[in-house]
Amino acid sequence: MEVPDGFAGELGGDVSSHPRRRVSGMLGFVARDPALLVAGATLTLLVLLALFGPLAWPNDPLGIDVGASLEAPSWAHPMGTDSVGRDVFARFLEGARISLAVGSLVVVVGALIGGFAGVVAGATGGWVDGLVMRVMDAILAFPPLILAMAVSVGLGTGLKTAGLGIMLTTIPYYARLLRSEVLRIRALPFIEAAHALGARRMRIMLRHIVPHVVSTLLIQAAAVFGYAILTLAALGFVGLGARVPTPEWGAMITDGLQYFLTGQWWIGVFPGIGVLLAVTAANVIADRARDILDPRGRYAHV
Amino acid sequence: MFRVVASKILGASVAVFGASLVAFVFMRVFPGNPARLILGPLASEQAIKEQERAMGLDQPLWVQYWRYIKGVFSGNWGFAYSAGDSVKHEVIARLPASAELGLYAFLFAFVLAVLLALVATYRRRPVVDGVIRAVSFFGLGTPPFWFGLIALLLFSQVWHVFPGPDGRLGPNTLPPPTYTHFYTIDALIAGQWATLGDAFMHILLPALTLGLAPFAYLVRLLRANLLDVSRENFIVVVRSKGLGRWSAFQHHALPNAFLPTLTAGGLLLAQLLAGSVLVEKVFNWPGIGALVVDSILRQDYAVVQTFVLLSAIAYVVVNALVDVLYGVIDPRVRIPMAR
Repeated sequence: MEVPDGFAGELGGDVSSHPRRRVSGMLGFVARDPALLVAGATLTLLVLLALFGPLAWPNDPLGIDVGASLEAPSWAHPMGTDSVGRDVFARFLEGARISLAVGSLVVVVGALIGGFAGVVAGATGGWVDGLVMRVMDAILAFPPLILAMAVSVGLGTGLKTAGLGIMLTTIPYYARLLRSEVLRIRALPFIEAAHALGARRMRIMLRHIVPHVVSTLLIQAAAVFGYAILTLAALGFVGLGARVPTPEWGAMITDGLQYFLTGQWWIGVFPGIGVLLAVTAANVIADRARDILDPRGRYAHV
Repeated sequence: MFRVVASKILGASVAVFGASLVAFVFMRVFPGNPARLILGPLASEQAIKEQERAMGLDQPLWVQYWRYIKGVFSGNWGFAYSAGDSVKHEVIARLPASAELGLYAFLFAFVLAVLLALVATYRRRPVVDGVIRAVSFFGLGTPPFWFGLIALLLFSQVWHVFPGPDGRLGPNTLPPPTYTHFYTIDALIAGQWATLGDAFMHILLPALTLGLAPFAYLVRLLRANLLDVSRENFIVVVRSKGLGRWSAFQHHALPNAFLPTLTAGGLLLAQLLAGSVLVEKVFNWPGIGALVVDSILRQDYAVVQTFVLLSAIAYVVVNALVDVLYGVIDPRVRIPMAR
């Protein structure tokens, strides 16, 4: 049956209310969505490069060779060499390791802490709820990048403190989202039924509420992954995060800063492409996951 | 009406006060001693103690906070050790540059996002729509400082269309007479066309760079909302009653779909006005972002506190304006709450 649909016509794609074809299994779903396919392949490739690249590629990311400095990309150095002759491709691979590892850690730890805070606040209510949410408001009062920088400086510059600072800025997004989800679910009849059957609060929380918020948490986590990689690069760019010889992508862009204007573009361009690919792939996947798992679109943007 | 306004002002004051308190406590809980940072690693314990006393750091936290609040209201915002000047001077000198850049970036992002979202949804061209979606993903995934460098490389180094990263004006251009502190507007008022052109060429690339991510965010948001609304039953109803596509779009879909974009736009404007830490660095823009980075690295409390306070004020003011605009678009907001 043909229904007049206003003006938008057949445009659909990432819009939640778009009716989806029934698909058989996860792979069928991916195969019918070219954007998701490309994003998945890109992220898989980056992960493989990060895991096995440094083992397979013979050049040392820290190996200085002043005789071969500032060489343009060639077969020996696919991404050229930097000002002290280090192989940019080897550094790129090592940078992928760092970015993906820090991004994953930030996502896992932040989701656990923020998710826990949100579920406890929503399920308990009262002063606990008030306290948790005021703490979250306090974190949100800071511009995120400023807070991440301040934490990183205050605790001593390094990858760990940078990751910690980024993680701290992501907690409120999980907490607020999950709190509202828990509040919504708590009001549903099946929770009332569980109460009537004599289930204890703890059991209701673990068996009936938590399973319902897991998909929401995962969607938010996917979005945070891209944010974490982008912010880590930003911290690296201003000299926070990785220490000097460590090939972190943002720090590598800073290395290339002065050579942009003298023609040696490859030092700074390739790590930026790495960030762009990783973040965009993560964003596309998060976006699609949202459509698939959460058709009503109650999510928060970071 | 009075009660509504009063409660809004009260809420805004509480938010700003909370932000100042949070900024104050956070910056002092962190390890690291600003007195040592000022005097250097070789200073004696005695000198450190004296410096701490001079800065009031030996007092209890609440005394320090009280002094700080008194200072904020009496115009004494503290001393920026990293810049060697009072915070007030530094902020007043740098804020207009950041605000001008932020305003241009926002105008670019908002206007282009609205136009493209309308084109993508009203004209049923999947190719146009696909391109816009791809661009928006690109905009959200690009590190802005890196994008700025690429833009400089291409447009300044290779094609010589835009000037290099030399701040608000070229080295041979004098600033226009001061009316608003916004160089483009000042030059326009004074009728200095060469200066106007120079200022404009200098602000264009950084504004595009800074506005890219907000643009991408807004265009995605408005497009998704427009498509959602277009499938609502009331749109089907007005179309079935014979209303034209454009009328249904303009009078029924757009006002309903626009509110989230307005809210998000307000938040983004507040962020942009307070300055950009990274893009300013790339373009050597003499704004507040560069100052804040330096201050954080040197644990210069006074500057960071002022910056957080300014961000909070910008956020609250812009949100209040958005509330007013909501009333213009959505009649339900104009009617005071029953109860």
